[in-house]
Formats: sequence, C-alpha cells, structure tokens
Amino acid sequence: MPLWTLRGLGQGKATTGWPKDPAAHGQQGTIGMPSVGADRCTEDCHRCADACPTQAITLDTRGHLETLDYGRCVNCQLCVETCPAGTLQPGSEWAFGVRDRVDLQWSLDPDPRPPEVRLASHIERSFRGSLHVRHVDAGSCNGCESELQALNNPFYNLHRLGIFFTASPRAADLLLVTGTVTTGMHEPLLAAWEAMPEPKRVLACGTCAVSGGVCGGTETSGHGLEGVLPVDVWLPGCPPNPAAIIEALLMLLERKPQRIHGGRVHER
Amino acid sequence: MSAEWMVLAASALWLLSLVLAVLGVGRRLVRVALALGCALVVLASAGRLPEGIACAPLGVGWAGSRLVLAPDALWLLAFGAVAAFFATALGSPGASWRSWSAGASLCLLGALGCFGLQDALGFLIAWELMSLGGAVLLVGEHLGPSREGRGLLFMLGLLEVGAVALMAALLWLSQRTGSVHFGEFAAQAWAAGSWPALGIGLLLLIGFGAKLGILPFYEWYPGAYGQGSGASGALLSGVVLNAAFFGLARGLTEWLPGQYALGVITVTVGVLSAILAVLYAFQEDDWRRLLAFSSAENAAIAITVLGASMIFRQEGLLALASLGYLVALLHLAGHALAKGCLMLAADGNYAASGHYDIRQQALLRHSRWYFGMGVVFAGMSLAAMPPQAGFVSEWFTFQTLFQGFHLTSLGGRLTLSLAGAGIALTAAVAFATFVKLVGLGVLGRRVREEGGAGSVRGGHAVACGLLGLGVLLLAVGMPWWLHGLDRVTAQLFPGQTSMALRSGALLVPLTSSFAFISPTKLVVALPLLALLPIGLLIGSVRRHRRLRVPVWYGGFARPAQGATTTLTFANAMRTFYAFVYRPRTTIDHEYSGRSYFVHRVEHRTTVAPLFEAKIFRVPVRVVQWLARAVSPLQSGHMNVYLGLVGLLLVLIMAVALF
Amino acid sequence: MSVRLQMLVLDAAALESRVEQLLADGGRMQMAYAWRSAPDAIEVRYLAAPAAGQPFEVWCVRPVDDALPSLATRAPLLGWYEREMQDLHGLSFRGHPEPHPLVIDRSNGMPRAPLVLPEAVDPQAQWLGFGPVRADVMESGQFLFLYIGEAIVHYVPRLFLKHRGMEARFEGLSPTHGCVLAERVSGVGSVAHALAYCQAVEHAAGCEVPRRARQWRVLVAELERIYNHLHYFGALADATTLKVGQAEGRLLEERAKQLAGQLTGQRFMRNVLCPGGLRREMVVPPGWPEHLLALRKEVEGYLAQLERTTSYLDRLITTGVLPREVAFDQGATGPIERASGLDRDLRRDHPYAAYDELTVPVPLAESGDAHARAKVRAAELLASFDLLEILLPRLATGPCRVACEAPPGSFGLGWAETPRGSLYYAVHVGPDGALARVKVKSPSFSNWRAFPFTVHQTNMMDYAINEASFGLTIAGCDR
Repeated sequence: MPLWTLRGLGQGKATTGWPKDPAAHGQQGTIGMPSVGADRCTEDCHRCADACPTQAITLDTRGHLETLDYGRCVNCQLCVETCPAGTLQPGSEWAFGVRDRVDLQWSLDPDPRPPEVRLASHIERSFRGSLHVRHVDAGSCNGCESELQALNNPFYNLHRLGIFFTASPRAADLLLVTGTVTTGMHEPLLAAWEAMPEPKRVLACGTCAVSGGVCGGTETSGHGLEGVLPVDVWLPGCPPNPAAIIEALLMLLERKPQRIHGGRVHER
Repeated sequence: MSAEWMVLAASALWLLSLVLAVLGVGRRLVRVALALGCALVVLASAGRLPEGIACAPLGVGWAGSRLVLAPDALWLLAFGAVAAFFATALGSPGASWRSWSAGASLCLLGALGCFGLQDALGFLIAWELMSLGGAVLLVGEHLGPSREGRGLLFMLGLLEVGAVALMAALLWLSQRTGSVHFGEFAAQAWAAGSWPALGIGLLLLIGFGAKLGILPFYEWYPGAYGQGSGASGALLSGVVLNAAFFGLARGLTEWLPGQYALGVITVTVGVLSAILAVLYAFQEDDWRRLLAFSSAENAAIAITVLGASMIFRQEGLLALASLGYLVALLHLAGHALAKGCLMLAADGNYAASGHYDIRQQALLRHSRWYFGMGVVFAGMSLAAMPPQAGFVSEWFTFQTLFQGFHLTSLGGRLTLSLAGAGIALTAAVAFATFVKLVGLGVLGRRVREEGGAGSVRGGHAVACGLLGLGVLLLAVGMPWWLHGLDRVTAQLFPGQTSMALRSGALLVPLTSSFAFISPTKLVVALPLLALLPIGLLIGSVRRHRRLRVPVWYGGFARPAQGATTTLTFANAMRTFYAFVYRPRTTIDHEYSGRSYFVHRVEHRTTVAPLFEAKIFRVPVRVVQWLARAVSPLQSGHMNVYLGLVGLLLVLIMAVALF
Repeated sequence: MSVRLQMLVLDAAALESRVEQLLADGGRMQMAYAWRSAPDAIEVRYLAAPAAGQPFEVWCVRPVDDALPSLATRAPLLGWYEREMQDLHGLSFRGHPEPHPLVIDRSNGMPRAPLVLPEAVDPQAQWLGFGPVRADVMESGQFLFLYIGEAIVHYVPRLFLKHRGMEARFEGLSPTHGCVLAERVSGVGSVAHALAYCQAVEHAAGCEVPRRARQWRVLVAELERIYNHLHYFGALADATTLKVGQAEGRLLEERAKQLAGQLTGQRFMRNVLCPGGLRREMVVPPGWPEHLLALRKEVEGYLAQLERTTSYLDRLITTGVLPREVAFDQGATGPIERASGLDRDLRRDHPYAAYDELTVPVPLAESGDAHARAKVRAAELLASFDLLEILLPRLATGPCRVACEAPPGSFGLGWAETPRGSLYYAVHVGPDGALARVKVKSPSFSNWRAFPFTVHQTNMMDYAINEASFGLTIAGCDR
C-alpha cells in the first residue's frame, strides 16, 4: 500500500476551492437553465410551450410566455433552440436550490423588490457544521446518483464541508430523495422517513423528485415528492451538477443565502 | 421417623413402584410412590447431612451388606433426588408409562445402592441395575427423530465396556486385598507410583467414565438422550451422574491415594473431555442433546478438579486437596439442580409446542413468570454467571487450579496451568452455549405462521421455577451449606475442614487474601446497583418523547425465515473449529425445465463426531463381520438346531469325563 | 449507413423449431417484445442475431388467443422477456418454467411484482434481505441471500422496484420529445440511448445522416464510454478497499465529465443528438484535445498501477466466475460476455454511426472472473482513447443534420454498443406521426439475468466485489 499512498500524495491537492472561490466550480462550458430575457415574444407564437416535453411553460392569452416553472425544467434546451424572438436564451445559472416551491416559478410580473428572507424555522445549530445525509433512490434514471456519487470524489470532497452520507436512516439528519417515487419504492421511502429520528429534513434532488420530470405520470411512476413528504429544499436539474447540490446543501444549513426568488437570480 | 427409616422407606416405595409398573396397574400410585421416595430421601439428608446415614444390615442377600451413606454420598444423592423428585412427579410425555416408571425405579434403586453399598458384589449389581434402569427408562419413550433404538444400543454397548472395566478393577482390588469390602480397599496401602495402582485407577476411570461421559464415551449421550424426554434426562444427569461420580471420587481418593501419574491422567482426560463435550454441545439444536453434552462437560470439570485434588494430595498439600474434592461436590450439586430445571423446561417446551427443537418461539413471554425465572437462573448457573451456584463452583475450580503454584514438581504445575487454560476455554464456550439455549430456545420472536405454540404452565413451570430458585439459594446460602460437608474432609483429608472455604459471608479458597466472592452479598448489591439505571430510564421516559418505529431492514419488512437460528448462531465456531467438527455441507436443487430455473433449494450441514470414525467404527465392523460369520448358525432348520444340541451334549460329556 | 435487417412473419407453431435451428447454426436470440398494432390486434416480435456477419432477423408472430409457446427452456434468455410481456400486455406463454410476475402485478392494489423465492428446505438457513435502500449512495434494489455465516447458498435479486414505465411514456410523444426521453432512460448512458433511438427513427424514416454528424456521434459515444469505465474502476477499487485507487478513479471520471461538459455543454452529453443528426453545430474547443491527451496519460498510469497491486488482483482473480455457457444462454452482453470468451461487439459486427470507417479492437478474455471483466474494460478504455485520437483530426466538415420524418406506420430498429453492452431500440410510428410503441432492450436487463449464476454458493465477502465487477445499472434494467 505505500505505493498507492505515495502516488496519491504525489498528485497534490485536487480539491476545488469552491464554494469559497466562486469561479472554481468546475462547470465551465456547461449550459445552465434557460434564462428568460425581456418580453420579445411575437404574437400567437406558442413554439416554446409546444417544444417543452414537461409542460413547464404556460402562455398568456396573447400567446406570449407567461410562466416558466423551473421545477419542471429538464434543461433540454428545446425551448431555447426553437424560440424565434430571443425571449428564451441559454443561461449560465445551474444552482437553483430553493426553500419554497413557488420560488422556482418564473412569472412575467414579479415583485420588483427581492423578498425579505425571514425563515419560518431555523436549522438547528448543531447541524450547521456537521450534517448526515441519507440518500434514497425512489426511481431515478441514475444520473442524479452519478452526480451524488461525484460529491465524494477528490474534486468536490464533500467531507471538507462537514457533510456525510450515512448508511442508516437512524443516524441521518437529512433525507435526500432522487427519482419520481415509483409505486415500488413508495413504501421503502416512507419507511426510511419514519426511521429517521427528529429533527429531520428532506431535500428533493433533481427535476424528477421536484415535479416528476419527463418520467412522471405513468402507471407506476409518481410526480415527485409533492404530497408525499414535507420538503425543505427543492433542487431542480436534470441532473443537478455536484456544485449545485453542494450549494443547495449549504443553503439548507444557512451557510449560503438563497439566490433564486421567483425564478430569478438575486445576488446579495 | 429417623433418617435411616426414611431411606429404607424410600427404597421400599421405589420397589413397590417397580412391581406395580411391571404389572401395569396403578399409574398414579406409581408416580406418587416414586416422588414420595425421592422426597423422603431429601428430607432424610436435610436432617442428617453432616454425619451421614448408616442403616443396619438388611440381612437379605449376602451377609454383611449394609447401606452406609457417607456425608459426600448423601450430599450428591440429595441434590440428585431433588431433581428426581420433580422429574418423577411430572412424569414423561413419552409413549409408555410402564417402562418409564420401571426404569425410573430401577435407576433410583441402583443409584441408592451405588451410593450406599459397601461391598464390591453389591456395588456391581447396583451399578448394572442403574444402567439397566437407564435403558428401560429410554426404551419406551420413542421421542427421537425415528423409532429405531440405535442410540440406546450404542449407550448400552459403551456402558458394558465400562462395566467390564469396573469389574476388572474391583476384581483386581479384591484379589489384592483378599476381601470384597470397600473398607478393606481403603485400608490397602499403595506405594507411590506403583503400576498396579495406576492400572486399577485407569480401569476405574474407564469404568465410571463410561457413564460420566469422558472421551470417547460421551458419544452415546446425544443418541440416547435424544430418544427420551426431559424427565429421563433429569434423572440420568442428576442422580445417576452423581452416583457415577461418587464411585469414581471414592475410588480414586479413598482407595488409591497419592498416585501422581493417575492424578495427571485424570486431569488431562477431564479437561479434554470438557472441551470436546462443550464444543459439540454448542452445535446442537435439540434441547435434550445440547443438555446431554453439557452434562458430560460438567462431569468432566468435576473430574478435572478431582484430579487436581489427587495431585495436591500426592505432594502432601492436604488443604488444597480437600479444597479440590469439595469443589467437585459443590459443582455437581449445582449442576444437578440446574440441569434438572432445564431438562424439565425442555419437557415444558415439548408440552407447549410439540417438539424439542431450539427455535425462536417467545416461550418466556407467553409462559408463567416463574418458568422464565427458573430457566434463566439455571442457564446462568450452567454458564457460570454470578451470583449463581455454577459461578461459585466454577470460580472455586479456577481457584483450585490456579493454586498449582504451590506444587513443587514442574509436571504438576504445568498440568494444572494447562488445565486452567482448558477450563477457561470450556467456560467460554459453555457461556455461548447457554446464551444460545436461553436466547433462542426461550426468548426470541414468535413467527405467526407457526401458530399453536402455546405456553408453559402447570407442573413444568412450577418445577422449573422451584429448581431455578434452588440454584440461587444454593449459591446465596453457600457459606451455611458448607457445614454439611464438614465431616467429608475430616474423614478423607485428616485435619481439614470445609469451613476453610468460607470467611464470614465470603467464599474464599482457603485464604481471603488470595481472592474471594460473595453471592450472598451480590444478591443484595446487584438489585441496589440496578436502581441507578432504572432511575435514569424513568427520568428519560418522562423527559423525552419516544418514537416507536419498526426495525429498519432496508425499507421492507424482514423476510420470512430471516430470524437467527441455532445454526447461524453457532456457525462461526463451526468454521473456526472445523478441524474438530469436520462439517459436511450438501446442497441440492430442484429445477423446472433447465438448471437455470431453480424452484427448490435443499441444504444440509452436519458435524462429524470425533471418535466415531477412529475408535468405534472398527469394533463395530469387527462385530458385524463376526455376526455375519456366525449367522449360518441361525439357519432356521430344526435339524441344525438338533445337531447343535447334540454337539453340545457331546462336549459336556467330554468335559465331564476328562 | 444502411441498416441491414430481415423481416420474417412466422407461425406460432413454427417458433420452437426455428429457435432450435438458429441455436444450432450458432446464432443467438436477442430480445422479444409485444406491441398492439390495433386495440384488438397484438403482435410479438423476436429479434434474432444469426451467426456473425449476417443481418439481424425480426420474427413477427401473432399469438393465438393471447398465448404463445414459451421458448425459455430452449433459449433461457427469453424467459424474462416473456414474463415482461405477460405482465405488461397480458399474454401467456405455455410451459414457462417461472411464470410468476417479473415487472409488475396488476392484480393486487399497488402494482409491484410480488417476491417469489425458491423453497428453502432447511429451517436453519436464513434469508437476508439487503435493500432496497442500501448502505451507500446507490440505486434501489433488494437482494435476498439464503446464507449461513459467510456462505451464500442461494441468491435472488429483486429488481423492478424502480420500474417507471418508460416504454409506456414514449407512446404519443413526438420523435423529438422521444429523444429527450430516451436520454433519460439510463442517465449514465444518455448518449448511447439517444444514439440507438435516433438510429431507429432514422431507419424508419429512411434518411441518411451526414458524415460529420456520424463522426460526432462516435466522439461523444466514446467519451461516454471513457467516463463510465473510469467510474467502474473507481467503484471496483472501492469494493476491493483500495482507498487511493477509488479516489483517483473518481477524480479521473470527474475530469472526463468536465471535458464532456466543455465539449458539449452538458456533463452527460445530453441535448446533442436528434433524429437526423446533431441538434446544433458543434465545435471542439481550443486546447481540448490536449486536455484529453493529458487525461489519457493519467489513465494509463492509473490502470498500470492497479494491475501491479496484489491485494486488488487477489480479490478479483477467481471471484464471480461466469462460465461461457451460462453467459451465452442467459444473454450476457458487453464486457461481461467478452470476459467469458464470447466474441461479440456491435461496433464491429453491425457497424453504425461512423464505426464503419474505424477498426474497433475487441478485447477478449477466457476466465470469466472479475479480473477478466476488469481487464476487458481496461483494454476498452484505452481503445476509446485511441479512437478519439484517430477521429479528432479527421472530423469532416459539412452539414450536421438532415430532415428526418418517419412516415406513419413505419418501423425502425436502432442499436448501439454501450459501455455495458448491446442496446436495442425498436420504434413503431403511429398513424399520426407520433411514437406508437418503443421497445428498449438495455444491456443491464440482459446482464442482471446472468449475475445470480455467479453468486450461488460463493461467499459474502466476494459479493460486493463481484457486483462491482459487473458494473450494472438498475435504472437501465427496470426502465
């Protein structure tokens, strides 16, 4: 084994400086969620709503883009490619973790002021530096699992932030759910939730867990966690990359502020 | 009524029950007679323990035969009789009451004779009666996996080997001393290291060891016990085992004192038997068979400490020699009670569920509370947990063996150190064995589909409760019960007293500066210590909200047949000691169509007895060959038989004439 | 590239003899599925691969009274397909040795296949249910062991708890949306699934994809193979408790994913393919080939170091042996079948995309143990780097897309060699131009069937290593 140890030491430090270093997230070149620019829609053009495979876009009576629900967006870029007017553009934001489901819904007339953040309940002090996560796959495509497994690679190195994955729900503080909640996994998911001691929280990871994504709504596939478990953080993405997952976890721990309100990015 | 009359009345009652059982009348009367006889014996000994009982000559049979129960004989008989009382009062769930009662009375009569008769002829007759009683006890019960009596025949075969050895030893002794009385045997002086003494000692060891279960004789235990009931087991492991041990102890201590080589051999044989017996006990999944091996193990421990006593005696350390002797007696006393309790618990299990398997049935939770108390106390005692009697005797055993450093000879010291290590291994495995028995046999979870497994109540629950309580009382009151053994040491080890084992309420190995224990005080201290965690628990229950959730198995409920079984519990040891067990596993599949579609998996794993292949199979083969060679004589033709008769007549004529 | 395919219409009575003939000639069955051409007309299609060099055969059979003879005793790999058709389409297969539900059971309230275990005749043996929520960040599946201590007597995996009904989800979608859905059937095989799907639609439409698009398809497919195989080695090092090996494997996988993100804008290379070619104009970023070369050098050093580590090799050699006959009968595919001596690779035998202008080396091993599977994957990994190095300088210019309209009522078959084995998409287009039926045969579905035969009568310690050496996904199997 000394050979491997020396080899590892010889390769130096591979861990990124993110989140302290905001540019070191490792997602350079990737396209984020579609961004909605100024309302340049042409009359009676409903190409974006037709193009969306998850019906995330609704139009108003003029045929203009009215709402875009990022909680249903699988980032397929079809709406961006088909938009003739430039209302929908390729975005650069991929970290869309929010506490309230409504904050994922972009609508045309938002509140101009960024809302004051007053949390209904604060996370316990003891979790801020040390959080134990139990992951349950409730019927995903394995993409979210691939990104979750990447969290413990030397690049992201989740342990340095004090966040760990546990084997048993008895030792867990956070239930991290991926997948649409299939009929087969409904009972084990609830059993895992019951088995966790209080206080406990839920993070819906991936568009499938937030709203069912493209896979939801069949005979055996549910519509995500809405109505199944009380969710504390909603993180859309198909799949959300590890940097987005880290950002959502830190937001849950109140170590980072929530950046997305009403579907828009608000930097503080 | 004086104690002598009580003993004689007991033997009369047992004889009455034998007659009635043979005739087949008065089933209830027979039970009452047997139990009453045992009760009388217990009462007699309670009154007269320190002095012993000497009955007047009976005047029947041979002249000069008297029943003299020395204090140590009385001690062992009494404890065996307590277990026998409950066993005979409850009776056997087996098929035939007549054979069982007849066997029980024969066992008891034979045991009484073995304890009390003072001449070799009477002793041998009593010994054979006891063996016969054991066989008759088991023959009618048919509680084994199949109706064949092979286990019984194996038992009888090995016991006969022992009987032949015993006969040879007693003949040799009587030839040496010129008399058949045991008093003359005791008076015979032997030179240290004499070969005849060693030979006689070995024959005695084999003779009594066949019944006590030293290696390789313990191999008849599972087959024979596994065919009978718990009540039979209580008798065989109680009064019969004690009788055999008494014979061995008296033989080696009284008749052949000061033999160093014999002592070393005894210790070695005892330790090895204990280790092997308990290893096999741990792998059993039947109540009776596990407890049978455990009886062999406990007898072997008593033999070990007896051997230590012999080694100490040879060097003149009489105090330690008397300590060793007394420890063996204490050990078998506690063992009789605890083993009797568990054997009757096995019968209770059988009454509740119809089988003798060690299986999770939540029996304790559904039965009377005193049943559980009894079983747990008895299990603790055999696992040598404080504050039970088994702990006391096991602790004393270690103290005796550890004090081997007083010996001057290197061989003696080495023997006792290694014996200590061996007994330590035995104690560890015995602990695991009884965790398995109590944990799986009596605790655990009941599987709904099995249905019907009831609860243990009535006589069996009461018997277990009382015997378990008896075990605890034996330990707690030990400083006072030691009075009963005072004369024992005085007679055998001049100048010694059993009071050297106590110091106030403490139990000490001759001196309190070496080590001490006190079950008497523990029984008070342990509940008091428990108050602290109980208080914390109550406080926590009041302060915190409790969440009751199912056990986490990964999201679904535990699959059926997912509970721990005796095999999965014992499997790690089976793998570790594979060189002893040599386990054999066979797996068979049943397919639908091609071998890829398995719908049934058959799995069997067995352990191989150690000596069967090496020692027993060869004589068995020889006997079978002989039988085949001689079988033409059984041709079934009248003329051949007439011819044989004629041949015999010719032979007789030849012998008479020449 | 023209898709070579032979369509045959067979009688139900002729099936058994046809299968026997195929097997005797050295061919193999690949998959079977059912589809409803009309509400009351159901047809079962079998895909057969005759001996090497010959085109695929599609046998179309009409069941009589919704019943067909079971072929499971002749071609055991068809057993699961027949059970799936039983569950989802209500067909019955006479003489099936294991007729209990596989995927779902609609007869009880919550559609989920009940657990059926073989009868275990030994009250002393224990069944251990591991999962479906397992100890690490893993997919959900329950695994039942009949075991005594360390020895596993029998092993039954309970999959299909994650069955999302993806094939049903395809029905009614437009072909464009179908591509988006195909990428999400198996998340780490997005490119391969999209590729097979697009080729199926292109086959149905009869359109010819431009060379540039075909080359880019090979590029992203091989890059996907690279990050999947690196993930595999990280997992294998983890199972053999080589901590630094695991960390390095995962780090190299991360570098590959980041390269993929830089190249295509998405770490899993989604949103690149569409029926007819590529979705948009793709460009290799400057400096990207050098980064790839640097990654290759690290990977070579890493694989060499693994092969020198005796504790790692010790745990792999003779672990989980998959005999060649079992691999063939159970339809094992990909590196798993190549490690058991079966020489098949869709890229070489039935070339698609731009593989016809490349020579694809197909590494083979004979021993069928975990070490063989790892060696085959290591060779494939380095071969992927070679293919990329050959392809990058000769990327053609030209259009990257053609129009692709699949006519109503058409049928198309597409395939791809994924990192885990052979993947097939059968696409039926409905009368309105939307998708009517899509059948997905994923490699994990085939390999999970073979896996239990390497676990029976082995021991618990080897189980995790064996499962890691197979490197399968459950999402691909359950769909």
